[in-house]
Amino acid sequence: MGTSFDISYVFDYFVKLLPYIRITLTIVGCSLLIGLGIGLLVALPRMYRIPVLQRFSQVYVSFFRGTPILIQLFLFYYGMPEMLKLIHIDVTKVPALYFVIFAYALHTGAFLSESIRGAVGAVDRGQVEAAYAVGMTGYQAFGRIVLPQALGIAIPVFANLVIAVLKDTSLAFSLGIMELTGKSQTLPTMSQHFFEAYLSLALIYFIISIALEKLFFAVERRLLRYEGDRDRDGRAASGRKWLNRRFSGRLELQKEGARP
Amino acid sequence: MIRLTQIRKSFGRNEVLKGIDLTVRKGEVVAILGPSGSGKTTLLRCINYLERPSDGEIEIGELRVKCKHPSKQEIHRLRGKSAMVFQQYNLFKHKTAAENVMEGLVVVQKVPKEEARKRSVELLEKVGLGAKLDAYPSQLSGGQQQRVGIARALALNPEVILFDEPTSALDPELVGEVLAVIRKIAKEGITMIIVTHEMNFAQEVANRVVFMDQGAVVEEGAPNELFRSPKEERTRQFLQRMTPEAVYSI
Ligand SMILES: Nc1ncnc2c1ncn2[C@@H]1O[C@H](COP(=O)(O)OP(=O)(O)O)[C@@H](O)[C@H]1O
Ligand SMILES: [Mg+2]
Repeated sequence: MGTSFDISYVFDYFVKLLPYIRITLTIVGCSLLIGLGIGLLVALPRMYRIPVLQRFSQVYVSFFRGTPILIQLFLFYYGMPEMLKLIHIDVTKVPALYFVIFAYALHTGAFLSESIRGAVGAVDRGQVEAAYAVGMTGYQAFGRIVLPQALGIAIPVFANLVIAVLKDTSLAFSLGIMELTGKSQTLPTMSQHFFEAYLSLALIYFIISIALEKLFFAVERRLLRYEGDRDRDGRAASGRKWLNRRFSGRLELQKEGARP
Repeated sequence: MIRLTQIRKSFGRNEVLKGIDLTVRKGEVVAILGPSGSGKTTLLRCINYLERPSDGEIEIGELRVKCKHPSKQEIHRLRGKSAMVFQQYNLFKHKTAAENVMEGLVVVQKVPKEEARKRSVELLEKVGLGAKLDAYPSQLSGGQQQRVGIARALALNPEVILFDEPTSALDPELVGEVLAVIRKIAKEGITMIIVTHEMNFAQEVANRVVFMDQGAVVEEGAPNELFRSPKEERTRQFLQRMTPEAVYSI
């Protein structure tokens, strides 16, 4: 590197990076939104044990949980135009950002479908029975009783997923996307103060993560305001355990695969 | 009127209900007694199709459903005619006491919100919870939760209310308040089927007592008759086990 540390660059880069938060958050937001739709669609066949579709959604989830996001990005970026060419759709003019969002959405959808399944399964069976006993239809019972409770249960997992996606978007630079990380690579080419650029980059990710964490905590408190303190603490603890398992899952899945 | 004809239910190879016949007249209070595992809960749950009977016929009011191949619509209508009070209360956890009582009125019966709220307040006052309208279930004692459960059932104005051991999950000191509420509404001529282990309560509140064992009705009759001079040996043995004298003599 050859340049000595200069804190003024940290401030300078910090400010220069700020506008690129928009791109990063766009990727996060869009892929979460689309991923939520995909996740719900994919979770349904498994929750209701629909024969063939269930198998498909299982394969989908294992694939996206079991392969690195970077490889998924490349597969989509280089593979999809080729595939689409076969059916005579030309996507060579579509900006890379769309491929990136699509890849992240599928990736997020896989994790979300698992969280949704877990959360819906965690709602007490007696709640549905009470809804039926009151005379509700299946849809009413799901929409008015199960889903609101499942959302509350899923929030801590969802929060971690959002933060994980936020950090994962840093890989999009490898396809030349000018989000936070991409920009931080180009900023110091003149000054050679790379370390300062990465430091400001880390700071920005860190601040966004903390803000998201606080936000989700507030949402969780609001969604679960009906729970007694005792319930909440107990559930939060077990939720966290479950969540740790989920997120170390990316590594564990490969181990699982090796098992006979 | 409710008429069950030859209700059968199997879980796999295990036949839990072996052809139950039971008729309950309008305004009648029927208590179902029987040892644990005799199929009391399953029978109640068949009446509102929380369990799907394998065979038989259910008639509530003018609705008559053949259990073998019911349509979705028949199941839905059947559920609309009964209400259930659960052993574990099963209040909607994310809704306040008042919202719990309103929910069925608003969502199922399409009663306007304000009217439903008014009715909900009346009913909660009736079960002694006028001060707990906006409390969540987690903020209520078991006895209070079960009283909300009873108000929720009453709100639907059903043909019959099904009680499945409504006091079994309660601490002993809370049993009295719930029984008092059931006693009160029994006097108002609401049709009820109550599964219970509270013998004194059953004797006092029921017009008729049904004794079940191993998936069949063994004996039924007026409370005084059945408790004082049961005809069947199995009934006698069960009553002996359940009465306090027997407990003291251990
Ligand atoms: N969902 C179920 N699956 C399998 N067996 C069941 C199920 N529910 C109840 N049973 C069996 O049916 C029998 C009757 O149970 P239940 O109706 O709960 O009796 P009770 O309420 O009189 O104690 C028991 O042997 C029980 O094990
Ligand atoms: Mg039972």
